[in-house]
Amino acid sequence: MTGVEQIVSGLEAAGVTLVASVPDTWIGRLMEGVRRSPRLRAVDVAREEEAVAVACGANLAGGRGAVLIQNAGLLNCGGVLAGLVELYRLPCFFIVSLRGDHRDPVYYHAPKGRVTEETLRAWRLPHAHADRRGDLAGQVKQGVEFCVESRGPFVLLISGEDLA
Amino acid sequence: MTPRKPLLDALVATLTPTDVLISCLGANARYLPHMTVPCPVFALCDSMGAAIPLALGVALQRPDRHVVALEGDGSLLMSPNVLATVAAAAPPNLTVLLWVNGRYESSGGQALPPVAVDWPGLARAAGLRHVATVGDPAALREALAAARRAGSPAAIVVEIAFDPREAIPPYSERPDEIRARFKI
Repeated sequence: MTGVEQIVSGLEAAGVTLVASVPDTWIGRLMEGVRRSPRLRAVDVAREEEAVAVACGANLAGGRGAVLIQNAGLLNCGGVLAGLVELYRLPCFFIVSLRGDHRDPVYYHAPKGRVTEETLRAWRLPHAHADRRGDLAGQVKQGVEFCVESRGPFVLLISGEDLA
Repeated sequence: MTPRKPLLDALVATLTPTDVLISCLGANARYLPHMTVPCPVFALCDSMGAAIPLALGVALQRPDRHVVALEGDGSLLMSPNVLATVAAAAPPNLTVLLWVNGRYESSGGQALPPVAVDWPGLARAAGLRHVATVGDPAALREALAAARRAGSPAAIVVEIAFDPREAIPPYSERPDEIRARFKI
C-alpha cells in the first residue's frame, strides 16, 4: 500500500465520516485518496479555520470529522482552536503537512517549518510525526481515537515522503 | 427598523424538534437560554466566524435535519469565504441567517468598518442561489418557510435596529453544559 492508501485506510478504520480540507501539494495528493473512499465525505473549504469548525460540526452531529491542511493553515487556526475546540472540548483530528523542515526542498516553506513545532508546543496541541516505516494506518486510527477519548485535538504531522 | 428580540422570537416560533440551531456569539447566544426553543441549540460564546462552518458540518453529517445558523455581520465580515464553502458543499438542509446591524454588539457596539456592504449581493456572488432580505417578523417567517423548500442552502439577511440600551442578558451557560446538552 502507498502512504496515501494507508492514511485513508486509517481514517476509515477510525470511523471518520467527513474530511474537511484546504490543499497544498502534499495534502492535495492525500485528498485524491480521500475522494476515492466510499466511506469518507470530502469537504473542500476556503480557509483552514472553516475546516476545523466543519469537522467539529460533524463530531457534534454523531460523526467523526478530520482536518487535512498545511502547516501554514494550522498557524491560522489559533483562534478557532482556543475558542471552539478547547473551550467546548470537542474532538478534532488534524493531518498537517509539515512544510519547511529538512526534508522539504522548497525554500519558501522554511519559515513555517522553523516555527510549526514550537507553535504546537506553545498551543499545547498533542502531536506526533507520522512514521512511514511503521504502521501508518494505525497511527492515524490512534490519533482519531485519542481525540475522541480526550475530547480535544491531535495533530499528525506528515511529510511528502509519507505519501509514497 | 425592527429590534432584534421580536425577530428572534419569530425565528424560534418557526423551529421544530427535528431542526438544529447553531448560534454565533453575542446577543442571540445570550438570549437563547432564556427562550423555549423546541430543537437542539449549540451557542458559541467565542470564536467569531465559526457558526456557519460548524452548522455546515452538522448539516452534512445529518441530512435528515434542517440546520439554521445564526451569524452576525461583524463575524461574517472577517470570514466571508465561508459563503463560497457553503455554496460548494450545497447542503439543501442549511439556512444561514445573517443579522445585520453594522455593530460589534457583543464588545460594546463599536461600528463595523464604515462601508455599506451589499450582503445579499455578497452571498449571491459567492454562489448561493437562494438569498432573501427581511426586516420584520412576518417577512422572516415567510423567508424561513421558503428557505426550507429551496432545495439548496439559503441565506436570509435580517436587518435589525441597533439599540445601545437593549438589556441583553449575560451568558448564562458554560461551554461544557452547552456541549453536553446538545444531542441529535
